[in-house]
Order: sequence, then C-alpha cells, then structure tokens
Amino acid sequence: KLKCLLHCFLLVFGRAIQAIARISDEFWFDPIEKGLALRSVNSSRSAYACVFFSSMFFQHYCWTAASQPHQKEKQLSLPCKLIIKSVLPVFRSVNVLEKNVEKCSIYTTINDHITFQLLCKHGVVKTYNLTFQECDPLQAVFAKHLCPNILKVHSRLLADIMIHFPTSQEEVTLSATPMKVCFRSYTEEDTDFSKTMLTEIQLNPEEFDYFQVGVDSEVTFCLKELRGLLAFSEATSVPVSIHFDISGRPIAFSIEDMLLEACFILATLSEVEKERPSQQAPCSAQQQESSKPRPGKREKDGDAAAAAPPEPQWCENSLKTKPVGPANPWARHQIKREVTGLEGRVLTRPGERAALTGEAAESHYQKVMMLCSVSAAVSHFYHCCILQFHSLFFGAVCPKEDPISHTFHSLATASDMEEDFGTMQSSPV
Amino acid sequence: MRFRAKIVDVACLNHFSRVINTIAKLAKTCTLRLTVSKLYFILSNKVANGGVGMWCELCQENFFDEFQMEGVAVEHNEIYLELIPENLSRALKTALSAKAVKIKLTNKHCPCLRVSVELPSLSSSSRIVTHDIPVGVIPRRLWNDFREPSVPEFEVSIYLPVLKTMKSVVERMKNLSNSIVIEANLSGEMNLKIENDLVSVTTQFKDLGNPPWSLGECQNSAEGRDLESMAEARIDIRKLQQLLAGQQVNPTKALCS
Repeated sequence: KLKCLLHCFLLVFGRAIQAIARISDEFWFDPIEKGLALRSVNSSRSAYACVFFSSMFFQHYCWTAASQPHQKEKQLSLPCKLIIKSVLPVFRSVNVLEKNVEKCSIYTTINDHITFQLLCKHGVVKTYNLTFQECDPLQAVFAKHLCPNILKVHSRLLADIMIHFPTSQEEVTLSATPMKVCFRSYTEEDTDFSKTMLTEIQLNPEEFDYFQVGVDSEVTFCLKELRGLLAFSEATSVPVSIHFDISGRPIAFSIEDMLLEACFILATLSEVEKERPSQQAPCSAQQQESSKPRPGKREKDGDAAAAAPPEPQWCENSLKTKPVGPANPWARHQIKREVTGLEGRVLTRPGERAALTGEAAESHYQKVMMLCSVSAAVSHFYHCCILQFHSLFFGAVCPKEDPISHTFHSLATASDMEEDFGTMQSSPV
Repeated sequence: MRFRAKIVDVACLNHFSRVINTIAKLAKTCTLRLTVSKLYFILSNKVANGGVGMWCELCQENFFDEFQMEGVAVEHNEIYLELIPENLSRALKTALSAKAVKIKLTNKHCPCLRVSVELPSLSSSSRIVTHDIPVGVIPRRLWNDFREPSVPEFEVSIYLPVLKTMKSVVERMKNLSNSIVIEANLSGEMNLKIENDLVSVTTQFKDLGNPPWSLGECQNSAEGRDLESMAEARIDIRKLQQLLAGQQVNPTKALCS
C-alpha cells in the first residue's frame, strides 16, 4: 500500500517519467519502505533505467507492506508494471504542470489501481486511475565501481555537448584517453560518407568535475535513450557520473543525491580487433538466418561444430542479490541451469554461439546485463548478453534457441518454461 | 583546389548564419561558388517549371577574417560545390557563441567542408566541435549552368512592404487559395489579391516607393507608362509563402519586379 504526496519536486518527477518513457512503453513501479523506485528496460534489453526517489523526496510518504494473515512469512510487495503511455499524459507538459498543479498525490487502492491525483489551481482536481499488471521484479546489477573509466560532469555540459548532434543521430561514440575525451557520431564501416554529416566534439579533461581514465576506450551507445536522462538531470541540477569500460561493456550514466538516485545503463557496441578477419564460420542452424547483412561485422558467428558444452566462467557464490530469503528450490534450480554474468565482469562463452572458430574468445567481449530478482516470493533470473546492441540468448541448456539472434532477447529464466524465449519480442534498436 | 576561411567576429558569424538559414529554407540542395572575392549561393533557374531560382552574392570580406582560395586551375580560379545548406545551417546553429569558426575544404573519405567551431569552455583550452559536411565538386564543364540570371523584363518595379507584414498576410491567404495575384504600379501602390468561389480578399499597400532603374536596365519603356495602371502577375502562393517565411535576414531593401 502506498500513499505519497509530491509538491515542489513535481517537475523532477515528471522529467523522470519522461526520461523513462524514452526507454520503453512500460515501467516498473516499485514502492519500498525507503522510497519509490521506477524502473524500465527496453524490449531489446539494451537499455535499463532506474530512478529511485527516497521517501524524503516526497512531502509525505507512507508505505506499508500488505501482510496477509494466512501467509506464513511476511509477503514482500511485488512490484507492478504500468503502461507508461497512461502515465505520461499526466506529466506531459511538465512546465504547465508546475504552474497549475499544487500537489500530486499517488496512492494505491484496494482494487489494485494506482491513482495519480493532481490538485490544481482553482479547485480543479484531476484523478487518473491506472491499472497495473503484477509482474516479476526487475533489477539490473552493474558494478559501477569496477569500471576503470569514470567521468563526472555537470548536466549542463553534457547537454551542451549533445546539442551538437542532430536529433536524428542515433548512436554516438565516446572515446577517452588520459589526454582527451571525444564524442563523435558513430559511423559503420559501410557508411556512405558522401551523404552523412559527421560531428565530433573534443573536450579537455579539465572540463570534467572528476576525470579518471584507466583504460583507453571507445564505446558506442545509443544517444536517443540518453536524452531523457539529460533533461531529467538538468531539472535536478545534480552532476552526472559516467562509468564505462572498454567497448562491449555497458556504460552507466547516473546521478545521485540525498533525495534521489538515478541510473541509466546502456549497452555498448562490441568491437573485434581490426586485424582479425571476419569469421564466417559455419553457423549453427539458428544463426544462419540471422547472418548479418554486413560482412566484417563484429557479430560473433556461433560455431555449431565448436559447440562444446558451454563452460561459462561464472561464480555462483558471488551472485549479488538481496538475500533471497528462505531457500527456494526454484532458485537453486535456476542457478544451475542458467548462466549468470556477474557485475559486468567479462563473461566469455567458448561454446555455442560465442566463439569465433578457432580463435580465442577472450578478447571478444560481451556486455552482460544481469537482471535478477530481489523478491523472496519468486526468484527468476533474467540474463542477457548484449552484443552490438543485439543480445544473444544465454540459454545454457536451452535447446530451442531463438533463431533470430540478430535481435534482442532476454532470457526469461522463469521456471522451466523455455517457450518464453520465443515470446520475447525482438526488435531492432 | 583548396579553400580555407575563418570567421572570428560574432556579428559576422550571426549574419552569415542567418543567410545560410534563409537559403536552407528555400532549397534542399544548392550550389556554392567560390571566387577570390565572393561567395555565391545559386539555385538553378527553374522558373520555367514554376520553380524558384535563387542567386545570392556575398562579398567575402564582409564576413571572413581569413579567406584563401585556389580554384581548379589558374585561369579558372573558382570552385563550384554542391551542398545541402541545411547541413551548414545546422553546423553553424550551435556556433553562436564561438570564439572562431574555420571552414576548410578537405577530402578524407570524400570531399567535405570541414567546419571547426572553437567554443569557449571552462578549462584553459577551448572545446572544439567539428562538422564534416559532404559536398560534391561540380566539374568545370557544368559551370555554365550557373550563370547569373538577368533580371527579366518587367513593367513595374516596386519596393516591398515590411516583409513580416507581408508574410503574415500571405500566410492567411494561403488557406483560401492556391495562387495569389500581385499587382503593383509605379505610384508605389501594391495589392495582394486572392479569389475563390466564396470570397475574394485584397490587401492594399500604399506609399511603397518605386526603385529607380536606369533607362538601360528596363527594356520596356516604363517611363511612358501610366503611373496609375497596375501590372499584375499570378504566382503560386505556397512558393511565395516559403520565400517569405524563410527570410531571416532583415533587408534594407527588398524589391519586386
């Protein structure tokens, strides 16, 4: 049960919703004792956003865990999923909102509705009752502190940089060395240069509030998904921290202050060393259909022949989730079956679709975003490996791989329902 | 073939930007002709098809602090490039507070105009934003297509009213009809007329003044013309509206012949 009241920070809240809206059409609404978390992940699992408002952000915040007498243990409230399109109009014109709305009240009701009630000027009250779906929890774990490169910059600066790119620019490459940082429009090998305008911005390390580049790197990420965060952070005027690693590893944009925390994790393109010839290894049947139209792409062609039983390097023990509570037979079952990447560490998959034939796969990085459950009631592990904005299924023992590895899928490790794979929407980013 | 130029003055930069923006609104692609002393933005004269032709001449000294150009050959010391003015407009859009803007013709993957904008920044060294705008080099054999159009024969030439006013009038008229009739006489009177089945609307402007053309320039003996009689022309209203809407440069004089 949730009841909270927003007053002065309506603009910030609205901008957060708008930022999340850029990621996906629906978001997770997850109230907990300490505050309210809003989370979202896009259909291709290549972008994840989480905004957490502490209870102090609200004028009034009251959350109680519903406990049913017939249950033995305290039931943790399951988060729920809202269709963002229904919420967005509430906060659409945030500027108008500020002028007209005096208070915004959000509460849950008995009949499973979430109500947003806006108390406006002149006694006008707007009430929005939204239904939600109960769903499995969503949380990504990404070890920011393990990233060798950290930049901290005021949101104004980041916005000033991104404004130079046209709104149609989808992807941007950030390249960092200890001497300089450069953002430029991303080009592929087969870009038609005679038709494309390219933009590049060079920055001196001194422009950053905090500058640490441990590893020279070039990461390419999707700018569109980031723009929401830029607007949001400008509203909060909290500096933005950028944590990143080498290409292939996720990049995280986060802001943090006493009242709220937000983190946007984006997948980055993975690069193969240039000298390595593109491997057109005999693909496994599943891969065949998805063979990239562009040669020399950094796609890893699965090699059915070399599909030794996958030996993922992972360590069960260091799986960082909130304590899962009483031993859940489900949980253990899942761990054994699924590969779980850890905290952004490199996970190489010599088997199945991972490696190039005969080549060491170590240098072939995959972005790993692990989404794991935090609830005691259900322990589902979402695991996805993202490569070039394409996530490959990491179905350890799943025989029925999705044939379209061209696109994103998330491994719904929920129970033993492998047909889940087929149902995930694959959409090009 | 080389070209290199630099603008440091903010006012010049803004003015140049506005000229480019105006051109960008008129045409998708246009031709840029560079000579030692001038820049020309040319849109081929397609008047025969009811299209818009444009010729824009800029004196480079008015804008650039540095301007170096070497044409295709010594005896033809000019460069003709085909470019998308929208790209140039976009590159300059965020350069409004720049310390300096450099434009250079380069050929990395393909011929490009490289616009380097040096922006002030918090640190000691400036922020540099570089835009590579692809261009097409127009071979010499096609240069004749881009000659300066001569002012067509006219009967009346008149100064236009304040363009903003004219623009809002035309914009409202656009909803009522597809073509507009412009009427003017040598007494400084101009009418804009539209007509459809239900209604006809006329907006009258007076005291506009007529530019003095020397006798040699206007072939028709306009001096023998009755001062009050109107000459009229019917044109596509959308084209006129597009022309007026795109105007970002405040002209000292705009005249219509």
